[in-house]
Amino acid sequence: MTLPTAGPRLVRRGLVICALALLGLAGVYVLAIGYTPVEARQGLAQKIFYLHVPAAWCALLAFSLVGLSSALYLWLHDARLDRFAAASAEVGVAFSAVMLTTGPIWAKPIWGTWWTWDARLTLTLFLFFLFIGYLALRAALVDPAERARFSAVVGILGMLLVPFIHLSVYLFRTLHPQPVVLKPSAPSLPPEMLQTLLASVAVFTLLYIGLVTARYGIALAEEAREAADAA
Amino acid sequence: MLEALRLALAVAGKDIRAELRSRTALLSATVFAALVLVVFNFARDPTALAAVDLAPSVLWVTFALAAMVALNRAFTIERENAALDGLLLAPVPREAIFLGKLLANLAFVGTVEAITLPLFVLFFNVNLGAALPGILGVTALATIGFVAVGTIFSAMAVRTRFAELMLPVLLLPFMVPPLIGAVQATARLLSDRPLSEVMGWLRLLALYDVVFVTLCMLVFPAVVDE
Amino acid sequence: MPPDNGAYMVAGYVVTAVILVGYAAALWRRAGRAVRGE
Repeated sequence: MTLPTAGPRLVRRGLVICALALLGLAGVYVLAIGYTPVEARQGLAQKIFYLHVPAAWCALLAFSLVGLSSALYLWLHDARLDRFAAASAEVGVAFSAVMLTTGPIWAKPIWGTWWTWDARLTLTLFLFFLFIGYLALRAALVDPAERARFSAVVGILGMLLVPFIHLSVYLFRTLHPQPVVLKPSAPSLPPEMLQTLLASVAVFTLLYIGLVTARYGIALAEEAREAADAA
Repeated sequence: MLEALRLALAVAGKDIRAELRSRTALLSATVFAALVLVVFNFARDPTALAAVDLAPSVLWVTFALAAMVALNRAFTIERENAALDGLLLAPVPREAIFLGKLLANLAFVGTVEAITLPLFVLFFNVNLGAALPGILGVTALATIGFVAVGTIFSAMAVRTRFAELMLPVLLLPFMVPPLIGAVQATARLLSDRPLSEVMGWLRLLALYDVVFVTLCMLVFPAVVDE
Repeated sequence: MPPDNGAYMVAGYVVTAVILVGYAAALWRRAGRAVRGE
């Protein structure tokens, strides 16, 4: 039985983590703009990489956790898992939005076109639609138990759709630059770039944690108040 | 196992008989598909692209939309009759109910497709010829994928206020992999490409079907049980 | 000589900040309402 103050406590903690993460983000901005070298072929626009890649990582993280907690919810029926999934989905929309805006802004100067249907940009678009569908379904269902069960089903199905999207779109075509960072021998990025990228990934992950904690706490607080109003 | 299959066929039979009695949904869905074909004809510039280049896309967008319309209707009937409640009270295994619903929906969508395909051949002057068995196979595989996920989502959507909007928003992303496979396979079949080129896409379709029919069967109880 | 596309970089960085700070701010406002009891 959670105390009525549990929600607000989590919200405060989450928002503090967010504030720290946003400060860290400012630091990453400075590093990315000032510390990293300018890529010879791609120019300054290449530096969007330091925001786009961590956003992609967080969107995928958010999505996987929605899928995972959905599966666990159907098994354990713990309302906390449902609440977490909803929070992660909403935060995932934010990071997907970053990906879907920085992607084209990066693509235009580098590839000459705002949009391409390459494997990764397309997958991002699908994640975005899956998140939105998930949240739309939740908004359309009133009964909390039904809402939790149905969204869990969408969460699991969505998680299993992703490999198929990846496979079918990849078979369809791909233009995306090959991954530069994760190579077995050594990353082919100069050290300043790698450091900044890793710092950015850490900051974005921290932001994810803060946002989800705050969103979770808000859900908890709102539920507690609804229960108090009904009583 | 055999008992479950028998139950599934019983469930399917009941649904199919119910639909045959009213027939309105079947007719509406078929007319809808025919109209979509007509719209496609006028939505293109006949001098710019040959019909045969657009044909696979036209066929599959039509099939996908028709499947959605059909699935929407299928569960609305269900809700109106509350027949599912009776089934759920009995100790019928949920897998059997899902399979039964899947088979009934497949029969429904399959019938719409069977009527739409000749119309497509007629309107777009497509020469199926030797490609017909292949096209039928591709259609069967892709439709199973559409309908498996569609059965789950229409069961959920029907409980929301905006079912007609909710179903497409949820279902369309899931229709994309089978759609890609179906369009690519159909295009190659219509161009008389060797079978080896088609096999890869057929394997994608089959894999999708196996994964999602199984998954949907497993999550179905969460959709219908309290 | 690298191409002159700094404007894109600025656009990307501004948009990212707007989305992330904006969402955090929206949560903050919603939290205020939830805790105060509106």
